[in-house]
Amino acid sequence: MSKTFFTIFCLLIYAFLLAPIVVVVLASFNSGAFLTFPPQGLSLRWYVVFFHNEVFWRAIKTSLWIAAVTTVISSIIGTMAAIYHVQFAGKLKETVRVAMMAPLLLPEVLTAIALLFFVYTIGIGTQTVLPLIIGHVLITLPFVFINVSASLESYDVSWTMAARSLGAGPFTRFWRIMLPLIKPGVIGGALFAFIISFDVFTISFMLKSVGMSTLPIQLYDYLRTNFTPEAAAVSSLSVFLTLLVVVVTEKFLGLKIHRF
Amino acid sequence: MNPLASKKRASLLLIAPAALLIFFFLVLPYLTIVVMSFRVPGDGTPYAPGFTTGNYLHFFSDSFFLQQTFNTLMIGAICTLVCLVLGFPVAWQLARGNSRLRGIAYGIVLSPLLVGIVIRSYGWTIILGNNGMINRTLISMGLVDRPVGLMYNTLGIVIALSHVFLPFMILPVMAAIQGIDPSLESAARSLGASRATIFRRIILPLSMPGIQAGCILTFVLSLSAYVTPALIGGSKVKTMAVTVVDTLVDTFQWPFGSALALMLAVTGAVIVVIFARMTRMKWKAA
Repeated sequence: MSKTFFTIFCLLIYAFLLAPIVVVVLASFNSGAFLTFPPQGLSLRWYVVFFHNEVFWRAIKTSLWIAAVTTVISSIIGTMAAIYHVQFAGKLKETVRVAMMAPLLLPEVLTAIALLFFVYTIGIGTQTVLPLIIGHVLITLPFVFINVSASLESYDVSWTMAARSLGAGPFTRFWRIMLPLIKPGVIGGALFAFIISFDVFTISFMLKSVGMSTLPIQLYDYLRTNFTPEAAAVSSLSVFLTLLVVVVTEKFLGLKIHRF
Repeated sequence: MNPLASKKRASLLLIAPAALLIFFFLVLPYLTIVVMSFRVPGDGTPYAPGFTTGNYLHFFSDSFFLQQTFNTLMIGAICTLVCLVLGFPVAWQLARGNSRLRGIAYGIVLSPLLVGIVIRSYGWTIILGNNGMINRTLISMGLVDRPVGLMYNTLGIVIALSHVFLPFMILPVMAAIQGIDPSLESAARSLGASRATIFRRIILPLSMPGIQAGCILTFVLSLSAYVTPALIGGSKVKTMAVTVVDTLVDTFQWPFGSALALMLAVTGAVIVVIFARMTRMKWKAA
């Protein structure tokens, strides 16, 4: 009896976790002019409206290229830091870990404000996209770091030694031995970096240059004044894109995610 | 130079980019907020030359901001409690369950993290709004004749924030429960302990590090959440984080906004430290 109750309780919580996402996707197929429940009928009307909306497409493009640049920088810096952390840090290991995790542990809104003041204080301001990229790299770095570190913990240093005794130089050792073996961690970290960068709001909101808009910012602006299901269509597309990226990565590259 | 020292020096190049990034774009900026909070408010500019403690005096002398800080801390505490109550059973099921469905369940727990916070909050406005799913259902069933206030109030903020941060409670608690040897439970059972006793005397104390981590994460995240309270609370109910951003972005009062942000951060940190101390002591004594 109590076991059934427990299972039902858990199922309700899973439903709670999925509810807002499912609702957004359902709402996007609503044929009515406003968001109503139950939907007034099925239609792709709002997708058509959205496909003709220049503003959202520009925001999606901006978000995609920022996420791509962020992922590349963050993956390289984060992987290097993880290698240092696992293989060379020695007594500093814990310090390095705390420092690298700091952007995740500190409140995002405070980090965003801090960066905003800082870029103005040193005079670069938010005229360019640079502050935004810096903010995104900072916030995604912990995800790369933790995933790659986890992969490296099971990497045996004697493999590097063996390669060296056979005459491989440092770059060959990295490309041919270490990287293929820690690949799942690097890919998992890069995937998280991409998704986080694509979705992050507060950092982008504070650091964006004038007239620039990422998808979350555009959506947020839209939602403050509009209630049509167009926003639901945009959101659903974003959810599908994320899902696609995760599934494709998992299928073709193999994936192992360590979030904590 | 001996080869060991040169290897050590070369390895520093690995950490250099990350270390420089963290130092220049995290450590220095945080120092900038502290300095900014002592700046003189500007007239037409974000701040004026000179330093003052006036921004903090302003905070302490205005009951509006004190009240709002208190409300924000309460919202954070309630969300943490809700997440713990809802999250623990799921964490337990994920850690101990061995069915094929475990992978799917784990995916569901992770799924909110892969969807942007704006979209998740938007989903809640569809569910909770006056014209939303719940109110529509209640009205069509004839249970109420006017919409129940679920949005633009503290209740809505708590519901949505609890959803947003639930995974941050479940994951660390799950990790802690996975670390408990199941044979401890069997041993206790064979010695005649009831299910409640096993939970209270074995599971709870041993999963405490995970509970602690989950509570601290959830609490800190809900204090500093911006998007969810801004969208769900609207202009009627504001949390401190929303006021801080408004002060900075809309009215350009950088020094006062910094003081507000730091006061929230400091009170939050004090509560976290007290919580960490209390939970540790209590469970050592037990």
